[in-house]
Amino acid sequence: MTKTSPSPSLSLRTDHAVRRGLAVRFVVDGQPVDAFEGESVAAALYAAGLRELRRSPRDGAPRGLFCMMGSCQECLVWVGTRKLPSCQLAVAAALEIETLSYREQRIG
Amino acid sequence: MSPQPVDALVIGAGPAGARAALRAQACGLDVLLVDENHDAGGQVWRPIPPGFARAPSGATSPEARDGDALRAELRRASVRCLFGHKLWNIGTNLRADLIGPEGSVSWQPRALIVATGTTERVVPFPGWTLPGVIGLAAATILLKSQNMLPGHRTVVAGAGPLLLAVATGILKAGGEVAAVLDLASPGDWLRTLPSLASRPDLLWQGLQWQARLRAAGVPVLYRHGIRSVEAAGSGLEVRTQRVDADGQPTVDATAPVFAADAVTVGHGLVPGTDITRLLRARHRYAVELGGWVAEADADGRTSVAGLYVAGDGAGIAGAAAAGAHGELAALACAHDLGRLDATTHARERDRLQSSWRRSARFGHAMGSLMALRDGAVAGIAPDTVVCRCEDVTRAEIDAAARDGARDMNQLKAWTRCGMGPCQGRSCGDVAGALLALHVGSREAAGCFTGRAPLRPVSLAEVAGEYTYADIPIPKAAPL
Amino acid sequence: MYDAIVVGGGVMGCSTALHLARGGMHVAVVDRGALCREASGVNAGTLTLHMTRAALVPYAMRAWQMWMDADKWLGMGVLATHVPGLTLAFTEAECELVELRAAARRAQGAPIEVITPERARQIEPGLHPGLLKAGYCEIDGFASAYLTGRAFGHALKRAGVDVIENAPVEAIDSGDASHVVRFAGGREPLRAKRVVLAGGVWIEPMLAWLGVDIPIKVLVNQLIVTERIRPVMRSVLSVANGLLSLKQFANGTVLIGGGWQGEGDRERGGVEARPQNLVGNMRLAAYAVPALAEARIARIWLGLEAETADALPIIGDVPGVANAYVIGSAHSGYTSGPFMGRIMAQHILGQTPDLPLFEPTRLVGMTMPGA
Repeated sequence: MTKTSPSPSLSLRTDHAVRRGLAVRFVVDGQPVDAFEGESVAAALYAAGLRELRRSPRDGAPRGLFCMMGSCQECLVWVGTRKLPSCQLAVAAALEIETLSYREQRIG
Repeated sequence: MSPQPVDALVIGAGPAGARAALRAQACGLDVLLVDENHDAGGQVWRPIPPGFARAPSGATSPEARDGDALRAELRRASVRCLFGHKLWNIGTNLRADLIGPEGSVSWQPRALIVATGTTERVVPFPGWTLPGVIGLAAATILLKSQNMLPGHRTVVAGAGPLLLAVATGILKAGGEVAAVLDLASPGDWLRTLPSLASRPDLLWQGLQWQARLRAAGVPVLYRHGIRSVEAAGSGLEVRTQRVDADGQPTVDATAPVFAADAVTVGHGLVPGTDITRLLRARHRYAVELGGWVAEADADGRTSVAGLYVAGDGAGIAGAAAAGAHGELAALACAHDLGRLDATTHARERDRLQSSWRRSARFGHAMGSLMALRDGAVAGIAPDTVVCRCEDVTRAEIDAAARDGARDMNQLKAWTRCGMGPCQGRSCGDVAGALLALHVGSREAAGCFTGRAPLRPVSLAEVAGEYTYADIPIPKAAPL
Repeated sequence: MYDAIVVGGGVMGCSTALHLARGGMHVAVVDRGALCREASGVNAGTLTLHMTRAALVPYAMRAWQMWMDADKWLGMGVLATHVPGLTLAFTEAECELVELRAAARRAQGAPIEVITPERARQIEPGLHPGLLKAGYCEIDGFASAYLTGRAFGHALKRAGVDVIENAPVEAIDSGDASHVVRFAGGREPLRAKRVVLAGGVWIEPMLAWLGVDIPIKVLVNQLIVTERIRPVMRSVLSVANGLLSLKQFANGTVLIGGGWQGEGDRERGGVEARPQNLVGNMRLAAYAVPALAEARIARIWLGLEAETADALPIIGDVPGVANAYVIGSAHSGYTSGPFMGRIMAQHILGQTPDLPLFEPTRLVGMTMPGA
């Protein structure tokens, strides 16, 4: 399973019903990602083609967002010292997050 | 760290909770409405992200209008709200411990109204844990709240009203639907028609949705489910299977295969009983209501004094019924706290109960479409992961049951199923159904014992700022 | 008629029954629930000498070996893991306690030495920089307590023991030649030559069935487990005041205990945690290993631990009742359980126990402190 979606040039974002907030860049695993202020980070990552968010504990299987409502704990990311469901985290310009695998590799 | 007093603490600001809070306030109670989201609306009336605005050109859906109206009403009534707060513990005296952006806070209510809604059930299949496979409710949130497609070409599968809603939502948003796979048959749907008698608007919407799918040439396969999803190149390959009326897969080599880049799947909604189980309320199993629910009277009084339940979390009855149910709970609460006279209570109650019954008729019909099908559970392949948090497979669950695990807690101890951070929310209903196959019934299998924290909280969040001297050391252990 | 019925299927009862059966007796174990689902299944699984009472060190050391060898004599392990144990001192008063406790345990044969913070950090790099002193023991470790019931279930059945679960006992009629064990709910009573009371905190009402009055205090211990986290520790940690137990399992979860009290009692079981005691326990844990601050809690629960008036076990003949025995209430009972069951069985089989028992008659008339 590759990390990126098939047509990264075609956005998953649909604009017919809303005017989005401010276009911002936030940092994911040290890399800039374009998104809109206020979006859920899980959705922003998904739209950027970053669908794999962690590996399962025993089988090491790739996992990504599943429930979008803060229940399943699949979309966790690190924000500083806090581990949060990214579906309950809003994108902001100054936001820096790390995926679980990235931080594990970085810290060991 | 002294808890702040309040008359009624309402947990969950969806249709039921928001209405309960409004009504309780109108009865003169001191109310606090709590939700972990940033604004009211729950799942069904999710707000759009902060900083987004509804496009003036686009037609707003009825749901968006209802949600916006509810949020406006809460603001007009100045209902005290605590958004963005995680409820992690409740004491037997109903003291509620929350964690928010400013740290820990506790409230001591005289009554607790629980309106926390449902979580989605997905009957596992090989590949259900792959990135790009998401719940129907998740797809709904992406479409309606985040204004995002789940994929460019999506397979929509499962059971219940969300299937058509999501499929047409994808089409409306400019996406492609590879196929709709419905465990139900057209007959199952027709049987819900009488319940729609009072809701011609919903019937019309349903027919429009079906027409739209037909016009777009989307294959709609009734009595079909997902056999497996596999990664294929940069996308997904979805193998389907025929099922019988019970959801059990039947042998059929001709069941089609679809290519897609996303799958959205859901097999119904399960009432959230985290809080009522933590408080040791009595529960009963009711498959048509979505599974285990707290035993409650028509006003939402549970077996625990001062604890009320309302909305879909008390049993699937739909969003329209949820509001009336919330109000009924609030009225009962006000009456039980001595702030509402019996006559007024009886009058308002009768009115609301009629309203609830009318609305619930449709909700119950949808609930029956979504109810867990025994055959679907029986058909789960042995190597399929059931507990996502701990990678516990059906085979391990069956082995533990054969070895003598007789209830959900023993199953948990022997397999780790339910020990992960989701605390059994994703796997509990299906695991219970699997154990029931061995021990005879869902009642015999029981539920995971409710435990704090209700949501994972970090040591830092609970411990706060402190020095070593701040630690309240009790007497040292004996030598 | 059974040679012996063991009432109470925790570690003590199961180990007793297993050793009796292997000694040739026809045995039944009865429990009101499933095997090892009370204290024996929900405790922190610490296999330490630091927090075991000094007088119990010789017993705990032998039991430690039994846990490590569980695959051999039990047939199924409980993931017993051998790691060193450190007991920590962060204040001058705690430094004194470390010295005191280490000396008392060394006198009983525990290989505990007092070490510098630098040496402690070599063993456990993640310790708080404010550490002043530590007690170190090479023989330490942990098990996954929740696996215990399944392991004993297999072993007992293979040994020919009748395991009768979900069968609450309501009375024992004791005569000269035999005992009749009566069940609630109309189940057929069972008859046995000997009866062994192994009911943990319920030993007090069980003794009362036999007309014996010995108070057993009920401790309501709070336990906290995190979700799986990256490796942050590799030893078993405690604090000199005895109020922290900390370990990280192979699966990455960290179990935090230490005997902080919640609400509950014998009748209702564990009811709920006390918030200030959760906070205290967590603060101590996050202080000892600062990396734990980020860890998220997955679950909090309670377990009932039994304690006698002198905080030593009650293992031996039931005073004044023929062919009746009692075993339980060992501080860190899980740690020493398998060995306590063996010496109880040796005594009942007429053999000399490997180590002395703990005479129940001493407790008759002894007042419970604070009562």
